[in-house]
Amino acid sequence: EKNITLDRATRIELSCRLDKYSHLKRLQVTWKRGNETIRHMNKTENSWSIQLRILDYSNLGGYSCTLKGEEEISAMFHLQVPKIEGKEKPIVSYEGDTAVMICKSFGYTPIAWTWYMTNGSEQIAINDSLLADKYVINRLSANVTHLKILKLTKEDDGVYWCEAAFELGKSKGKLQLRVLSLMVPLKPFLAIVAEVVILVTIVFLYEIYSKKKEKSAEDEKEFDQVEQL
Amino acid sequence: MGSVDTGNQGKWCPPTYSLNPNCNSEEAVDSQIDARHQKVVFALKSGLTMSPPVPSDLGYVPPDGGWGWAVVFGASISIGFAYAFPKGVAIFFKEIQDFFGTSYSEIAWVSSIMLATTYGAGPISSILVNRYGSRPVVILGGLLCGIGMVSAAFCTSILQLYICVGFITGFGLALNLQPSVIIIGKYFLKRRPIANGLAMAGSPVMLCTLAPLNQFLFDNFGWRGSFLILGAILLNCCVAGALFRPIGAATASVKTQVAEEGKDALKEEVTKDAMEMSSPRNITMETKTEEEGGKGCCEKVNQYLDFSLFKHRGFLIYLIGNVLMFLGFFAPIVFLAPYAKHIGIDEYSAAFLLSILAIVDMIARPTTGIIANSKWVRPRIQYFFSFSIAFNGACHLLCPLASGYTGLVVYSIFFGLAFGMVCAMLFETLMDLVGAARFTSAVGLVTIAECCTILLGPPIGGTLIDTFGDYKYMFIKCGAVMVLAGTFLFIMNYYNYHALAKEEKERKAKEEDPKSVRTENEGRNNWNKETAQEGPELEPLREEREGLKKEVNGTNEV
Repeated sequence: EKNITLDRATRIELSCRLDKYSHLKRLQVTWKRGNETIRHMNKTENSWSIQLRILDYSNLGGYSCTLKGEEEISAMFHLQVPKIEGKEKPIVSYEGDTAVMICKSFGYTPIAWTWYMTNGSEQIAINDSLLADKYVINRLSANVTHLKILKLTKEDDGVYWCEAAFELGKSKGKLQLRVLSLMVPLKPFLAIVAEVVILVTIVFLYEIYSKKKEKSAEDEKEFDQVEQL
Repeated sequence: MGSVDTGNQGKWCPPTYSLNPNCNSEEAVDSQIDARHQKVVFALKSGLTMSPPVPSDLGYVPPDGGWGWAVVFGASISIGFAYAFPKGVAIFFKEIQDFFGTSYSEIAWVSSIMLATTYGAGPISSILVNRYGSRPVVILGGLLCGIGMVSAAFCTSILQLYICVGFITGFGLALNLQPSVIIIGKYFLKRRPIANGLAMAGSPVMLCTLAPLNQFLFDNFGWRGSFLILGAILLNCCVAGALFRPIGAATASVKTQVAEEGKDALKEEVTKDAMEMSSPRNITMETKTEEEGGKGCCEKVNQYLDFSLFKHRGFLIYLIGNVLMFLGFFAPIVFLAPYAKHIGIDEYSAAFLLSILAIVDMIARPTTGIIANSKWVRPRIQYFFSFSIAFNGACHLLCPLASGYTGLVVYSIFFGLAFGMVCAMLFETLMDLVGAARFTSAVGLVTIAECCTILLGPPIGGTLIDTFGDYKYMFIKCGAVMVLAGTFLFIMNYYNYHALAKEEKERKAKEEDPKSVRTENEGRNNWNKETAQEGPELEPLREEREGLKKEVNGTNEV
C-alpha cells in the first residue's frame, strides 16, 4: 500500500513492477479504481503502468493494480490531499482566559484556512469579523494558522476543526478545548499548602519537645553533681 | 570529691584547700565562698574533660549522625528542587510559546534566567546564612519559590514570566541550595562524604519524579494550573528548612550553662580571667566580637563574606578547575536527546536514554559518597575528584564512536556514572579544602564564578553544532575541556597536598622548639603576678585555674 499526497492538479504515473521473474508466465494485470477498470495501460517488460490526470477531488481515491496468475498479488495506491494535524490531547484553559489553537500543514501550502466549532452535531464556521472581540484568526505563515478565543466561558468547551483548502480538496484537523473553572486547580493547591503547614508544625513541635527533654535531663545531671559536692 | 571534716566544730570546711587546718569561724564565710568556687570549678572541669578534642575549624564536634540524617533528608529535597526544577519546567515551554506567540529562544531565556539567578545569587545566600543561619534562609527560599510560581500562574506577558519564574523562583532556589549544602558540613565530619552523596542524590530522584508529574499536571490543568500547583509543591522546601535545626558553637555552650549559673553567683569575686578559662572557646569568641564592633567596614564585609579566601591556595585551585569543568559539564545532557533523534532514533527511545542516565546517576551518587568516605580514599579525595572529571571527559570523547542505539545506551550508562561521581563530590571537595567554617563564604563565591561558564556551556555547544552541522565536535569540545580540567586539578592538588604536608611539619617543629616553651613559661609567670593581687581567698581558685590552663593547652595541641 502506498499513500501519495497531492495538493494541486497534476499528471501522475502509477506503475506496478514485478521483480522476481518467476514462473508466472501467463499474467493478467488489471488496474482498477474501485470497481471500475482502467483501460489505458502501458506495458513494458516487467511493469505495468497507468497515467492519470488529477484535476479535482473526484479524481482522488484508491487505485489498485492486480496481477493474476497462479496467485493473485495486488498493490494499492491512495491518492489524497495533505493531512492536517490537530492536537491529540485536549488544550486546557480557564474561564476568562484566552485560548490559542494552532494548526499546521506540513510541506504543502493551503489556499485558505477555515475554522469550525462543533455545536451538537453541527459544524459552524467561525466568523472572526463578525465576532471580533471573541475570535481572532491569524495566518502566522503560509502553513500555519492560529485561532485565538478570548474571554473563555464554559460554552466554548468542545471540539474545533481547522480546515485547509487545497486545489484538489479540503483536509481537516481536530482539536479539543477544555475550559475549567479556577476552582479546579485551587483544590489540590490548598491541599498541598495545608500539608506543608501541618508538616512544618509537627517538625517544630517535635523540636520543642526534644529540647525540653534534653534540658530536664541536664538539670538532673547538674543536680546530681551538686549533690555529690 | 572530699569528705566533710566534722572535727572542726561542725563548720563545713573545704576538704582540699584549708589554709588554716583548724578552720575557725573567721574563715567560715570564706569557706562558704570557697565551697561555691569549688562547685563552679568542678563543673567547669568536668565540662572541659567531657568534651573530646575539637577540630580547630568549627569549635565543636559535629554529631555525625542522629538528627543529622533528618537534615540530610531535608537537604536532599532542597537540593533536588534546586537542580531539577529548571529542567522540569521545560515541559511547559512549547505550550507557553504558542500561547504568547514567541520564538523558542525567547522562551529558553526563562530557563537561563532561572539558572543564572540560582547560581548568581550564591553570595547573597552565603551572606544571609553567615548572618542568620541555614534554617530561616531556606524557609524564606521556599516561600519565595512558592510566591514566584503562584504569581507566574497569573502572568499575561512573557516579560512577567521572566520575572516570576526566572528571577523570583530562581532566587528562592538559590536560597535553598546553598544553606542545604552548608548545613551538611555543620552536622557531619567523619561521615561527611556519605552525607554529601546522599544529599546530592536528591537531584536525580527529584528529576525522575518531576518529569512525569509535570506532564500529568499539564495534561490535566494546563500550564496556568500547573504553575499554581507547582508553587504549592515548592513550598515543601519550607518543610525541609524546618528540619535544619541550628547547630554550632553557640548551641554547644548549653553544656557549659552549668558553669554559667555557678559564675553568676560569684560575679563580684570571680574575675574575667576565670571566666575565660572556664569556657575558653565560646566566651572568648563572644568578647572578641564585642571588641570588633568598632572595626572598619572591610572587616565587617569579611565577617559576612570571607574574601580572604582568594588568598587560600586550595580554594583558588578548586575555583579555576571547576570553572573550567563547567564549560563542558551540562552541554552533553542538553544535547543527548537531540543527538539521538539526529542519528535516527525515535523520540521515546531518546527520552529513555535520559531516564537511564538519571537512574544510574541516582545510584552512583550515594555509592560515590560511601567510597569517598573509606579510609583509603578520604585522605586523597581530591585525586578521586580529578579522576572522575577526567573519566567524564573520556566518556564524551568516546561518544562519537558509539554507533546505533546500543552504543548510546552504553554511553548513557557511563555518562550517568561519571556525572553522579562528580556531582556527589562537588561540594565535599570544597569543604575538604577550606574547612567547614569558611565553607559558607566559599560556596557563595564559587557558585557566582561558575554561573558564567554554566550559562555559556550549552550555547557554545549549540553554535558548534550549527556551524559544523555535526554533533561530534560538541562532544569532542566537552570531553577535551573536562579532561583538561581533571588533569589540571590532579596536578595542582598533588602540589597542594605536598605544600600542606610541609606546612604541617613546620608547625609541629615550631611547637616542639625549646624556645617556644620558654616564652610560654614567661607568660604564665606574668599572669601569676597579676593574680597575686587578688587576695588570699582566691588562691585556691588560682591553683585550680592553673590546672585548667594546662588542660586547655593540652587540648589545643591535639
